Amino acid sequence: MNDANNEKPPLLGTWRNLYAFVLIYLAAVIFLFWLFTRHYAPAS
Amino acid sequence: MSTFDWIVLFSWIVFLVGYGLWRGRGSDSVNKFLLAGKSMPWYAMGLSIMATQASAITFISTTGQGFVDGMRFVQFYFGLPIAMVILCATAVPIFHRAKVYTAYEYLEQRFDARTRSLVTAIFLVGRGLGAGIALAAPSIVMSAVLGMSYRWTTIIMGGLVILYTTSGGIKAVTWADVLQMGMIMGALFLALGIAISMLPPDISFLDAVRIAGAAGRLNAVDTHFDWNNRYNLWSGLIGSTFLMLAYFGTDQSQVQRYLTGKSIAQSRLGLLLNAMAKVPVQFLILFIGTMVFVFFMFVRPPLLFHPVQMKRLEQTAQFPALQARYEEAWQERQAAARRLKDGTPIQEFRAAEQKLDAVRADAQKGLEESDTNYIFLSFVTHYLPRGVIGLILGVIFTAAMSSSSGEINSLATVTMIDVYQRHISKGRLDSHYLLASRIATVFWGIYAVTFANFAQGFGALIEAVNQVGSLFYGSMLGVFVVAFFMKKAGGSAAFWSVVVGQLTIFAIARFTPIAYLWYNVIGALVVIGIAWAMSRMRPQVLA
Repeated sequence: MNDANNEKPPLLGTWRNLYAFVLIYLAAVIFLFWLFTRHYAPAS
Repeated sequence: MSTFDWIVLFSWIVFLVGYGLWRGRGSDSVNKFLLAGKSMPWYAMGLSIMATQASAITFISTTGQGFVDGMRFVQFYFGLPIAMVILCATAVPIFHRAKVYTAYEYLEQRFDARTRSLVTAIFLVGRGLGAGIALAAPSIVMSAVLGMSYRWTTIIMGGLVILYTTSGGIKAVTWADVLQMGMIMGALFLALGIAISMLPPDISFLDAVRIAGAAGRLNAVDTHFDWNNRYNLWSGLIGSTFLMLAYFGTDQSQVQRYLTGKSIAQSRLGLLLNAMAKVPVQFLILFIGTMVFVFFMFVRPPLLFHPVQMKRLEQTAQFPALQARYEEAWQERQAAARRLKDGTPIQEFRAAEQKLDAVRADAQKGLEESDTNYIFLSFVTHYLPRGVIGLILGVIFTAAMSSSSGEINSLATVTMIDVYQRHISKGRLDSHYLLASRIATVFWGIYAVTFANFAQGFGALIEAVNQVGSLFYGSMLGVFVVAFFMKKAGGSAAFWSVVVGQLTIFAIARFTPIAYLWYNVIGALVVIGIAWAMSRMRPQVLA
């Protein structure tokens, strides 16, 4: 097994950048779902 | 179901089991049998983790939830990407470097044998119950839909799982899951496409979405905080993060998957694949449920979705009157749905829907089993083309096998490594432990089938599985957080904090109405708090 945190990810240079990307992606997905919910919410 | 569908169904099952056996060949050492010789690529690990979660229950119950409750259940998965990132940064490198077979083995390296044994026992009890439910829940539904006896459904499902899991170990389980995940995605898109294409000509896809939204089914995000509301943004981001941390960080059925990685990087990438794909996949599954809901607004479904209960109802004296009321209420709701599309306020539609629900509630009086779990299968068996029915039912059948195989494999691994090798028979040859691993796999497979045969009658299936997990995950997560981050905490602090944490959760579950997602948070915090307090006490007080 290759030891280490030293092995770089295939994208974005560092693991920290890749983690940040995943979390930003999550925030974007939730925001899109929120817009979707609001857009199609039942008229009262 | 037609003969052709049966042929498709059996062909798919045979193909999947055969593929698992073929890919699992060469598992001739303990390391290969339990950890695939640490040879798995990231995409196989990621897809396998997703396939284990995308169980038969997901197909059956989640689509039903989308139908009756809308899309709010998707919030349950918001914590998953956060948990994956935390685990990639912490647990993955720690477990890899510790060179362990199980997560609990690490606890002895970090604390002592007593803590390892306690957490092993908690895992075996909790996961053991889960394994039984994972087999029982889909068997109840599939036996009713396929017209097979429940007993034989569990025996066939369990028997096939035992066959390829015992033969090929984790390698067979993982590669079968990869194939399974591909078929799940294909089946989901197929079902969605067919549901949309079968809408009436005057109802476009956008109309269908608008109607689902107007009917309150597209409620994907609820920002209102409520302790007793299971699914909102906050329970998703906080409660679900803890549950996912516990599930992926301490449950051997998941830890074992990423321990099979070639390297730390491969394991991390596998988890991050899951982090990015899971929420959209779950959204898609719930969306299919809402589209089936719209479909049944324009194509009249049976009064009851459960085929056996429907047949029984047809034999009763009150059936003609119920059916007449149902027909009238459904026509009213259909008309209200068309007006909803044109922007009419929701109240008229809701009144029509309540009337329809009241008829269905009367029809379900006295029935023990929820009709929700049969909605999607009723759609599949009544409206999809021949061949597709067999394929989708086959995929659901093997999805149940996929979840079950992962659980049985992990239970066998813990039994072998943390119980047998640690306490019963030390220092034997590798071939001896390989045989013991296979025997443990057969044992847990037979146990799951036996448990399933005594466990009919669960309500909302997916929640039953999650609730059993939540009873145990909080304290397990807590002790691993203590192990990773509290350098001063020793064996006594770890052991007693888990005992108190577990008792606290049992008390909360028994005496309070707090939603189960919060058990993980509370259990973990109790364990961390007590361990922290004990680690600050003088050594002689702890002795």
